[in-house]
Amino acid sequence: MPETAVSQQQYAPKDYKSSLKPIWCPGCGDFGVLNALYKAMSICGLSPEKTVIVSGIGCSSRLPGFVTTYGFHSVHGRALTIATGIKVSRPDLNVVVVGGDGDGYSIGAGHIPHTARRNPDITYLIMNNNVYGLTKGQVSPTSMVPMASLQANIDPKRWKTTPYGMTEDYINPIAMAIAYDISFVARGFSYRPNQLTEIIVAGLQHKGFSLIDAFSPCPTFNQDQTDDYYKEQTYDVPEDHDPTDRVKAFELALRTDGYPIGVIYRNDTKHSIMEEQAALKARFAGQPSGSVSALLHRFV
Amino acid sequence: MSQQTATHATDVVVRLAGESGEGVVSLGDLTVQMLSSLGLDIYTFQTFPAKIKGGTVMYQIRVHSGVTLSQGDGVDVLIALSKDGYDSFHMGMREDGILLYDSDAFTPPESPGRTEYGLPISTLANHEKQAIRSEVEGEQLKRLPPPKNIVGLGALMRLISAPLEPAEQYIRDLFGRKGEPIVRMNINALHVGAQHIEDQIGAKRTPHVYPVPVERERLTINGNQMLAIGALAAGCRFYAGYPITPASDIMEFLAKEMPKFGGELIQAEDEIAALGMCLGASFAGKKAMTATSGPGLSLMVEQINLGGQAEIPVVIADIQRGGASTGMPTKTSQGDLNLAVYGVHNESPRIVIAASSVEDCFWTSVDAFNLAEKYQCPVILLSDQALATRKCTIPMPELDKVRLEDRLKPTSEELSNGFRRFEITETGVSPMSIPGMAGGAYVSTGIEHDELSNPGYDPDLAQRMKAKRFLKLETLAKSEGASYYRLWGVKGHAKVGIIAFGSTEGVLRESTERAREEGYKVAHLHCRLINPLPVEAIKEFAARCDKILIPELNWSGQFGHWVRANTNIEYRAFAKDVGLPFAPNEIYNQIIELLAE
Repeated sequence: MPETAVSQQQYAPKDYKSSLKPIWCPGCGDFGVLNALYKAMSICGLSPEKTVIVSGIGCSSRLPGFVTTYGFHSVHGRALTIATGIKVSRPDLNVVVVGGDGDGYSIGAGHIPHTARRNPDITYLIMNNNVYGLTKGQVSPTSMVPMASLQANIDPKRWKTTPYGMTEDYINPIAMAIAYDISFVARGFSYRPNQLTEIIVAGLQHKGFSLIDAFSPCPTFNQDQTDDYYKEQTYDVPEDHDPTDRVKAFELALRTDGYPIGVIYRNDTKHSIMEEQAALKARFAGQPSGSVSALLHRFV
Repeated sequence: MSQQTATHATDVVVRLAGESGEGVVSLGDLTVQMLSSLGLDIYTFQTFPAKIKGGTVMYQIRVHSGVTLSQGDGVDVLIALSKDGYDSFHMGMREDGILLYDSDAFTPPESPGRTEYGLPISTLANHEKQAIRSEVEGEQLKRLPPPKNIVGLGALMRLISAPLEPAEQYIRDLFGRKGEPIVRMNINALHVGAQHIEDQIGAKRTPHVYPVPVERERLTINGNQMLAIGALAAGCRFYAGYPITPASDIMEFLAKEMPKFGGELIQAEDEIAALGMCLGASFAGKKAMTATSGPGLSLMVEQINLGGQAEIPVVIADIQRGGASTGMPTKTSQGDLNLAVYGVHNESPRIVIAASSVEDCFWTSVDAFNLAEKYQCPVILLSDQALATRKCTIPMPELDKVRLEDRLKPTSEELSNGFRRFEITETGVSPMSIPGMAGGAYVSTGIEHDELSNPGYDPDLAQRMKAKRFLKLETLAKSEGASYYRLWGVKGHAKVGIIAFGSTEGVLRESTERAREEGYKVAHLHCRLINPLPVEAIKEFAARCDKILIPELNWSGQFGHWVRANTNIEYRAFAKDVGLPFAPNEIYNQIIELLAE
């Protein structure tokens, strides 16, 4: 979060709320995430005109319209690339990326490791509902439908592209993020709103790329990973957890007894692409080399 | 240049061929430098092996005392540094041409009518190296390559009767800091090469080059370099790209320069990311560009559409290459025209502009940024492999003629009164706020939206917003866009009129000039703007020509189809897609054939 984009003026959460009504179904987890984001932005004092919320395509990617800041509702899977262009060219702006598990971990997954390498000061908030919602009920990379070989009874009305079970395993986004050395990795849950707000604040304040995977249950197309399921399956990250210990962070990410909620990994030693770009520019600052005429004369 | 008399005119085509890594390119570059220092015009044409290492390379140099418009037809002088080089590239030599070959490497087959010079390049070069061995330290001597290129340069300069002084000066400048013995070795090598030819030349026929007084400052540069410098001149301060032949050297060039101009450059993970980053940077207020070739442009299609729908200025340079799919990456083509014009799902506005010469790459790059800014949409700039890698001597661009456009921004009044980012206006262009402007917040979006940027699907809205976006292209077509073409040849009635676009302009000018010198009334209209086309100009042109010929470097005649779709004119297509640029003779023959019908 750049210092310049924090306003002296105080903003209440409602100041970030636009006049557009969310298109989400009643009971959608995304409402909780949106409210937590309003609160987190208020706590951090983000200046609305110096903040951009970027998204791809999906239910959760409609979020920029519900916020009073600048927004960029782009194409499926490409939000990180657009956000990188914004942040690298305008380091003075706050850049937040929002989207779903399909947008981020499927079509857009190829951009995650490269954003991790660049480590721009961007907060990526993924609303993970373990299903494709906007296209009405296909499996996503985080769907936990039984595998086909188990011959389990699958309700074909609910899992439309895997009526006999899945033929692919699901991914563990937190372990993936730690493997990519994303410099801030956290997990939240939309039904733990205060904790989620704290996590988003920590993500916004982190200097570098932060990925927050927030469970955000879909009441319409996912009757398995519901709010009740996650209420049972989630627990706080242990108080003695050291998120700077990458091996311990992996251990936490790989636990099978439920899902720890909180900051799981952070690496504050990584450089960011903006720092590197600034260093490049500083190296040539004050030299008369940046002239088109001089460039052309090199070829005389 | 017009005062050149026939007896002192120069027009020589020299072709160098050999193994990649053998010094063909450096000898070619040296020759170009020497000849352009004599005030002559240079036009190069290179082919590269599609291999990482090895393979045969060809470097052709046409040296001319007038404006050089194409790579020429026959080869006057072939310099073959290897047998494979000879085998691959002796085709195209004039029957009475001159062959200079490395007699240490091979012996060419006999060919009556040809004049041959054997030059034992390695032997001569090694001899010069040995001559200074006692004066150079052991380690330096080991690393010192025998001066093969310089022997070759001396021989070539003598062969075409060019003075050796510029080469001597060059050697002093280049090797001066390495010590007197190294300078002496190279100067001796130059003279030994020249002497070796001198001894054989006798009464043999040789071409001559005649120095020309230089009146204007000139540069020797290729298309991609001019395109990149044009972008910087236009105010480009953000570049993202992904390596691809033959566009990569634009990114490599800008990687060195962008930080000096206070801009940013990112090597993206793929072309999709590259264009995404450019759209983001432009949304944030920077002038942004990416450059790619066909496969990359294919990947960018979805976001070109986003740029059109969300009305974001961005420049996408497509350096077209040969063939479909992987095709022939090191060869040339004009085969991406359809993709540039039509590559989109549904419809959104984009501007397509094409560069036609090395000099024009600079101005087309400037124009591309200005059009993108002014009309707030993607601009696809078409170039191609032949133009990108071609080195030409050109006059120094007059930088005071560069005019820069900036996107329309909202006034403070507009920002404080319910700012409408996509306001419907008479031109279709609406003010674009930049993050940081209080009161300017909106959501840039590919979803159909109203003037405030709020999503909406109602039929009336869909109609109005689409009309608004396309109105920008109409505005362009009716204003400055109508003059984005050049006319050559006869002004009034013509028997044959050629309509074309892109890198073929020079060769078409040369072949139509030849036809006119022989008394044929031929005219040529060259389009700079491809979308929207200068429709009225094309119709007027067609009306004064008996027959229209549309030559282009692709299989199906894409440009002809596009012209007919826009103007309904009748024409003869000459479409060819073999990886090579047109030769003047080919076009000349087409004109004569069409005249005879």
